[in-house]
Amino acid sequence: MTAATLLGPGVSWYLCVAGFLFAVGALGVFVRRNPLIVLLSLEIMLNGGNLALVALSRHVGNGDGQIFALGVMAVAAAEVCVGLGLVVAIHRRRLALDVDRLSELRG
Amino acid sequence: MTTTSSLTAAGWLCLTAPLAGTILILLGGTRISRRVAAWVSTASVGAAFAFAVWGFVVLHGRSGHLGTYATAWTWLQAGNFKVGLEILVDPLSSMMMLIVSGVGALIVLYSIGYMDGDDEERRYFAYMSFFVFSMLLLVEGGNLLILLVGWGLVGLSSYLLIGFWHERPSAVAAAKKAFIMNAFGDGTMALAFFVLIAHSGSLEFGTSFQTVTGLPQTTVDLVALGLLGGAVAKSAQIPLQTWLPDAMEGPTPVSALIHAATMVTAGVYLIARTSPIFEQARTIELIAAGTGALTLLVAGLIALVQTDIKRVIAYSTMSQIGYMFLGAGVGGYSNGMFHLLTHAFFKALLFMTAGLIIHALADEQDIRRMRGIGSLMPFTKWCFLAGALALVGVPPFSGFFSKDPIIASTLNLGWYGWVFWACGIAGAFLTGLYTFRLWYLVFPGEPSAFVREHHHRYAGREGPLTMLVPVGVLTLLATFGGWIQWPPHWTPITNWLSSVAPTLAVAEPTSTQEYVTSAITVLVGVAGIAAAYAVYGSKRLAVPDVPALRRLLEHKFYFDEAYDALFYRPTVALTSMLRTQVEEPVILQTATDVGTTTLEAGGAVRRLQTGLLRTYALLLATGAAVLAVLFLVLR
Repeated sequence: MTAATLLGPGVSWYLCVAGFLFAVGALGVFVRRNPLIVLLSLEIMLNGGNLALVALSRHVGNGDGQIFALGVMAVAAAEVCVGLGLVVAIHRRRLALDVDRLSELRG
Repeated sequence: MTTTSSLTAAGWLCLTAPLAGTILILLGGTRISRRVAAWVSTASVGAAFAFAVWGFVVLHGRSGHLGTYATAWTWLQAGNFKVGLEILVDPLSSMMMLIVSGVGALIVLYSIGYMDGDDEERRYFAYMSFFVFSMLLLVEGGNLLILLVGWGLVGLSSYLLIGFWHERPSAVAAAKKAFIMNAFGDGTMALAFFVLIAHSGSLEFGTSFQTVTGLPQTTVDLVALGLLGGAVAKSAQIPLQTWLPDAMEGPTPVSALIHAATMVTAGVYLIARTSPIFEQARTIELIAAGTGALTLLVAGLIALVQTDIKRVIAYSTMSQIGYMFLGAGVGGYSNGMFHLLTHAFFKALLFMTAGLIIHALADEQDIRRMRGIGSLMPFTKWCFLAGALALVGVPPFSGFFSKDPIIASTLNLGWYGWVFWACGIAGAFLTGLYTFRLWYLVFPGEPSAFVREHHHRYAGREGPLTMLVPVGVLTLLATFGGWIQWPPHWTPITNWLSSVAPTLAVAEPTSTQEYVTSAITVLVGVAGIAAAYAVYGSKRLAVPDVPALRRLLEHKFYFDEAYDALFYRPTVALTSMLRTQVEEPVILQTATDVGTTTLEAGGAVRRLQTGLLRTYALLLATGAAVLAVLFLVLR
C-alpha cells in the first residue's frame, strides 16, 4: 500500500496534530505544579509521539513504527503505575502535592 | 663406600647437623627444658665436629688430598648461568670445618654454664647452632654464590647474637652497627661477583679462576677489590673495623665464637680460597697485606688504653687478624691459615677465662677494679697466662710457631716488605705490652676491696664444670697446638694446603731469615712484657702523660667520630632537609591542594542542582531542542 492509495488526510496533517499534542503536553509539564497533572501531561506527550510514529509508519509503508508505538504504550503504562504510586505515597505522608515544594534533592 | 661418597656424606652431615639442632630447638619451643636445648645445641655442633674429623681422615687418605664437589640440586638457573646448591670438601675447607666446629663445640659447651639462668636460653642456643651452621656453609660453599649466602647468614647470626640482650639499647645499637658494616662488605662482594658473571658467566671456583687470567688488569683489580672489601668488613680490618669492639655487647661466649671460631676469620679464608684471583691482582693483594699491617698496629695501640677486659681482647683479635691478612696478603696463605688455627685456640681461651672472671665478679668488666683476682681464681689465672703467652708468641706456646713465619715471609718483597716486617715486629712489642698490662692489672697482688666484696665461687669451684672443661681443653691446645708446624723444618699444614692455596715463592723466607726474625720477634715480645711489668707490675716506671695522644687512643683514632661526621650527619641533614624542603611543602601541600580544589569545585557546581523538577524538564527540553536544531543545520 502506497501513499497515493491512502484514504483520508495526508501525513502532514497527522504530524501537525502529533506536534500539537506534544506541545500541549510539554506546556503542561512546564507550567503545572500538581504531580498528577504533570503525569497526565507526560502521557499526552507520549501519545503525540505515538501518533507521529504510526502516521509515518503508514506513510513509509513499513510496520516497524507501529510495533514501536505498542512498545511505547507498554512503557507508558508501567510509568503511570510508578508515577501514580509515588503520588499516592506523597499524599499518604501528608506532603504538599506540589512539584516545586518537593525539592529535597536541591544541591 | 668410595672415598668420594664418604667425603660427600661427611661434608653434608657436618653442614646440616647444626642446622638440625637449630630447627629442633625452635620447634621444641617451651616443650623442651632449657638444659635440653643447651645440650641439643652442644651435641649438634659436636656432631658436626665428628663429621668434620671423619671428612678430614678420608681426605687425608686420598692421594694428593684431592677435594670433591657435591651438588644437591640446581638452585637457580638463568640462561647459561647456573648455580647449584653445592659444597666442596678439600684441604682448605676441611681445615676450616675442623676449626669452626671444634672450637665452636667447646664454646657452645662453655655457654651452658655461662648462660645458665638467662631468661631466653633456648633462643640463645638456637642462634649459636645457627651461627656455626652459617659459618660451615661459608667455608664449605662449593661456588662463590653459596659462599656469599653463608657470608650473609654469618652476618645475620652475628646480628642476632650481638643484640641477644635486646633490652639493652647499647646491645641493639652494636648489633645494627655490625650488620650495617658487614652489609657494606657483602655489597662490594656482590659487585665483584656481577663483574665475574659478566665475564665468565659462572660463579664456579674453577671456571672463575681460569677466566680471570684472560681479563684486563683493571677488571681483575676491581674483582679483587670487591672481594677484599668483603674480607675487610667481615674481618674487622681498617677502615671497616669499628663494629668489632662494639660487638662486645653480646654475651662473652658469643664474643669468643665471633673472634675465635667463626666470622672474623672468614676474611682470611676468603683470601686463601680466592687466591688465584688475588694473585692476578697482585697490587690488591699487597693492599690487603698493607691493611693487615696497619690494622695490627692501630689495634695494638688502641688496646693499650682500653679498660674493659673484653675490649682489650677484642682489639687484640683485630691485631691478630691483621697478622693473618699480612700473611695471606704477601702470598703465604698457609701461614695465615696456621695463625688462624692457633689464634682460634688462644683467643677462645682468653675470652673464656675473661668470662669466668666476669661471672665470678657479678658481671663486672672493668679491669681497674679486678686487681688481685688471681689469688682467688688460680685455675683461671694459669689458663689465662697460657693464652697470654701464646698471644705474645713466647716459645713453646702456639703463637710463637704461627706468628713468626708471617713476619719472616715479608722479607723478600723489597722496601715495602721491610715496612711490613717492621710493622709486624712493632706489633709483637705492642702485643706483649697490652696483653701483660691486662695480666698485671687483673691477676697478681692482693685482692682489691671490690674483688673481696663481689667475688663468689660456684659450688666450691671457679665456675661450673661445663665452663672449666672447655677452658682446660683450650689451654692444652693453646699451649701445644702450635707444635703441628714449625717452619722451615716441619710444615704439615703448608703441605696440606699446597694443593689449594700454595705459598708463593716470594713469601718463602730463607732459613736464616726465619731464625733471625723468630729471635727478634720473641725478644721484642718479651721486651713488651718487661715494659708492661715495669709500668703496671712493679710500678717503677710511670707512663708520661701526653693528653693529646691519650685522647687519640681513647677515641680509637676518631674512626667513629669521622664516620659520624662523614656519613651519619650528612645523611641526617639531607633527610631532614628533604623533609622540610620537599616532603612538607611539595608532597604534603600538593595533596592538601588537590583536596581543597575538589571541595571548592564541588561547592560551585552543586548550585546547578536546584531540586526543581520543572527546571530539569525545561533544561532537558532545551537540550533536546538544541540538538535537534544542530542536527537539522549540520545535515
